[in-house]
Amino acid sequence: MPNKQSKTKLFILILLPIITILTGCEFKDIDKNVFVSMIGIDKSDDEDKPYKITLKLYVPTSSFKQSPKPEYAYITQNGETLTEAIRLMESYSDKELEFGHSKLIVIGEDLLAEKANEIMDFLLRRPDIQMISWVAVGRPSAEEVVKMVPQGENAAYPALFNYFDDIGTESQFIVTTYLFDLRRRLKEDGIDPVLPIIEVKKKESHFKVNKSMVLVDKKEPYELSSLYTQTFNILSMNAPIADLIIKEEGEYFNARVDSMESKYRVNVKDNNKIELEVDVSLIGYISESKNPLKTQDLAYYSKLMEKEAKEKFTEFFEEMIHIGYDPIGFGLDYKSRTLHNRRMSSEEWEEAYKNAGINMTINAELKSTGSIK
Amino acid sequence: MSRYYYYLIFINMVANIIASVPSILYESHKEGSVSSMILGLVAGTIIVTIYTRFFNAFPGMTLPDLLEKTTAKWFYKPFVLFLAFMWFFAGLITLATYTFLLIRYVTPEMPVIQISLSIILSVIFGCLMRTERVLYTIELILLVTLPLILFIFYKTYSGNSLEWDFVKEAALYVNQLPDLNSFSASFFLFLGVVNLFMFNRFFTKKQSFNWKHVTIIAIISTLNMFTTYFIPIGYNGFENIDELVYPWISTSDSIRMEYFMIERVLFVFLLFYLGIAFVSIMIHWHVSIEFLKFVFNLEKLKIKGFKLGKFIPIPFFIGASLFTIVKLNEYQLLRLSSIFYNSLIFFFPSMILLFFFIKRSMKNAKQAKQN
Amino acid sequence: MLLSETINWVNEQFKNTNELVHKNLEYENKHILLFYLKSLINSEMLQQLIIKPFFEMSSEEQFKIYLQALPQFQEVTSKEQIPLEMMNGNILVKIHNELYLLDFRLANNDKVNQTSVETTIHGSQLALSDNLMTNINVIRSNYHQASLTVEYLVKGEVNQHKVAIIYDKDKVKSDVLDTIRKRLQNVDKQLITSTTQLNNFINDKRFSLFPQMIMTERPDRIVYNLGGGKVILLVDGNPQSMATPVVFFDFMTTIEDNYHTLFISLFLKILRYAGLLLSLLLPALYVGVTSFTPEVFRTELALTVAGSRVGVPFSSFIEVLFMLFFMELLLEASIRLPKAVSATATTVGGLILGTAVTEASLASNIMVIIVSAVAISTFVIPVNEMAFSIRVVRLLLILITSIFGLAGLILSFFALIMHLVNLDSFGEPYLKLYTLAKDKKSSEGKS
Repeated sequence: MPNKQSKTKLFILILLPIITILTGCEFKDIDKNVFVSMIGIDKSDDEDKPYKITLKLYVPTSSFKQSPKPEYAYITQNGETLTEAIRLMESYSDKELEFGHSKLIVIGEDLLAEKANEIMDFLLRRPDIQMISWVAVGRPSAEEVVKMVPQGENAAYPALFNYFDDIGTESQFIVTTYLFDLRRRLKEDGIDPVLPIIEVKKKESHFKVNKSMVLVDKKEPYELSSLYTQTFNILSMNAPIADLIIKEEGEYFNARVDSMESKYRVNVKDNNKIELEVDVSLIGYISESKNPLKTQDLAYYSKLMEKEAKEKFTEFFEEMIHIGYDPIGFGLDYKSRTLHNRRMSSEEWEEAYKNAGINMTINAELKSTGSIK
Repeated sequence: MSRYYYYLIFINMVANIIASVPSILYESHKEGSVSSMILGLVAGTIIVTIYTRFFNAFPGMTLPDLLEKTTAKWFYKPFVLFLAFMWFFAGLITLATYTFLLIRYVTPEMPVIQISLSIILSVIFGCLMRTERVLYTIELILLVTLPLILFIFYKTYSGNSLEWDFVKEAALYVNQLPDLNSFSASFFLFLGVVNLFMFNRFFTKKQSFNWKHVTIIAIISTLNMFTTYFIPIGYNGFENIDELVYPWISTSDSIRMEYFMIERVLFVFLLFYLGIAFVSIMIHWHVSIEFLKFVFNLEKLKIKGFKLGKFIPIPFFIGASLFTIVKLNEYQLLRLSSIFYNSLIFFFPSMILLFFFIKRSMKNAKQAKQN
Repeated sequence: MLLSETINWVNEQFKNTNELVHKNLEYENKHILLFYLKSLINSEMLQQLIIKPFFEMSSEEQFKIYLQALPQFQEVTSKEQIPLEMMNGNILVKIHNELYLLDFRLANNDKVNQTSVETTIHGSQLALSDNLMTNINVIRSNYHQASLTVEYLVKGEVNQHKVAIIYDKDKVKSDVLDTIRKRLQNVDKQLITSTTQLNNFINDKRFSLFPQMIMTERPDRIVYNLGGGKVILLVDGNPQSMATPVVFFDFMTTIEDNYHTLFISLFLKILRYAGLLLSLLLPALYVGVTSFTPEVFRTELALTVAGSRVGVPFSSFIEVLFMLFFMELLLEASIRLPKAVSATATTVGGLILGTAVTEASLASNIMVIIVSAVAISTFVIPVNEMAFSIRVVRLLLILITSIFGLAGLILSFFALIMHLVNLDSFGEPYLKLYTLAKDKKSSEGKS
């Protein structure tokens, strides 16, 4: 069939000029890029240029085996907008700034309260910033968090990432918030975002991540203590394991919970009164005890644990209700259950939430006393 | 039914996950999207059934063939030409969407023309293939891309970050009255069946088509529609879902693969969805070129024995699509697709009247022959 | 008379050769004439079967009947047949005013070879021989069907080689057979020396990148193909056969797949397809990722790649081509080299060059890994011809990727699939997904 051949010829005829026109376009080698590892956003002292961006850049080394120590470069720049700051930064760097690999966004504590929305807009609008990058609050400032390299850090993978990915440490005190999660919680009524707080311990040269911050639109952020952070993690089933110290009726032991499940729903009563129903089941074993234990008393220990947990969780909820913040998402649960035209307005809801009753059931089960009795 | 028949239907459904359909649906997420989708599902299944039954009655016959036999020349020539434009436009929408996506996410520095050219050049020669080869290509490309895409869907459903409460909240807007845009967008998902206008020439034997096949199509399209609409809501929240320009891209970027070579699902999704887009454009433009061939008798055009005819539409296709893509912006594309979808909900159901006419005259012709 | 005229004519045909032997035997009222070409004749057989009985038989009549009873006996049908058959090792016998031909061919090439191209662990280790008759013998003795048909043709104007078309009459598709016959008729070449040559002559597409026939030297593969309704072509003096029509998947199966258990052969198949994809896409992927979209890979990997490229003077595209070029040179060189030297060449080329190139930072470490991975995975493709095609397509993909980036790579891969689907091998689609269902009641037809 001659037309097949002509087809090939035609194809080549078309392709050739295109190739000659287009070759060399936009061809940029990987070593002409510099990868951003973290972005820190702070409030600057300059009135006109309120944003201060700090970037941590990977410095490529030819072999990580030969130089296991991490090497980074840093750029800091103030700007009127975030984009302007980045544009100014590009003039400092001989290579193209590549944001696609940045995994952590640290926002300075003082900026968070005022400009959360503008920052979000910038982060979401840029297509090259990952929606799965972690967002955290930097204390005392994002710049210090970004610029610190703790001891024992590996090349190519900043130690800070290990706090948040599920592969490294699995601490019960660390809240992990992805950018997309932050966005949806910020925009939605009825659930409030929680961000981890990264604190810098300058002297010991390491980080401390055990507190978190609840963010509510147009309100002061509320800081959760490490105890509350742990409680939040248990209730939102974020932590894979959790430790509870039980100090009741003369017993003093530590229960390690390795399987937890929590359900919560909102029961609406008359006159816009609501009751929060929380149902938690905790399964675990005893990992430490001051007193010798009896295996046949496991049921009794479980009861103690239930009591302790109930106190602890109730305290958390009462505090949240008191200040009117909703990190667990009762409001969302209410919305997902009620037809939109029969819902109470958001003001009514806020009022109802502040006066909500708590109905908590805890079902704790200790399966073992560990290797010894 | 032959498995190739299902490909035609499902590619249109799956391809539109990434195109403008979800965006159009989200525009009225607080009005009538959910109920429009249910309505679209019913209407879509009905139209799929009617169209399939009609073409099943004439195995191996394309719509132009049937029109030629039953209607006058002044009618069918312009009509088929019109159809050709319509199919070209359907392919163009996918092409433009994908060009914008690639430039936004994969190669931001590349000129638009270069990106769209890469898609057009790879697709265009496929459109000239024989119909059966187009179907074989579809099957193979699906075989390559679909497992990964299904894996990504699995990842979205199984991920911890999928918040079902958002989904429930969105679903509760079901009691709103349906609106036109959302209905036509969800109705469009079913219109893969109209490719039978041309592809029916491949199905030369009468196929069995009964309620079982309709159920399969209905179930799969329900799942597909559910995924299209609700999964991005589960990941991105309900309240401001309409502010996302590419809801599915943001959703796929919200999933992380911890242990793979590639960490961001976004790129896997985008690059493998390219296969679906490729196939979708190929189907539409193949049909369009076949219509053009029919209208202008392009097959007969020869220069020194070389069949030039079928190559004639190609420069026009390339030129027209490049021109449109350069002129268009994202918003215009969205509006244009919305208008296109809206026009289809009037056009294709009214085609059924034409089908009645064709069926009757074919029957009469048959009887006349017997007598 | 007619007979002597014919003999004179034959003599005339062979007048330029001094190998024609003309033997006149006369004893006790018996008289025969023998004509033959000395170098083509098995003289031991001649002695045993003709000369000795000639002196023992009592009458010429008896000897004539004896000759007719010999399995080598052949009637003369035309004058033109005689010199041809004599050149194939026949003896022309004149007895009783009649001419007979007797096949006393001396074949030194009828030993079957060891498999050398398609070696396997399981299954027979013997391949075809260089002799057409032996080959047909091998095939027939492996394929016991009365419907097995062999057709002979003589091709090549100068060297007049015998070509055999072998097929199973019950299974072969007649239109395929007709196409092959017709195209073979149209072959007018001076010399046909190899079966693989036919691939190019019969094939009507000059620019075809992919083989339209599959070459094999294994009798079990031939039998397998015959059973699948394929046509086998054999040329005398060639230990390779061609099977056609082929589909793409034929090039990805080894005959061993049938000898392994299900899961093992499945595993091997997956391995092979992975190798195919790897050898096709990996270098282009490297170009696409490093030069256009460095965000794709996870950070650690991207940093490793970026780090290893530090100091490399070329851009990724040149780097890939540079290294692939040396790999291809190495591959090509090792085919031509004697076996004893080729091991050294590979060591020098692969190990020393590879290390030196990275030491001199002319290419990155990752690049060396990629090139070796590509080389290895190319060897995984079981049929050589396909491996050659893949090597060329790979370069095309690199070229396209360096213009259009990663999306271009994916698209060109799809376009490659499309091209393969669009190809025909003797009227059959080259690439198409076949379902396992045995029943032929498909509800769709060809358009």
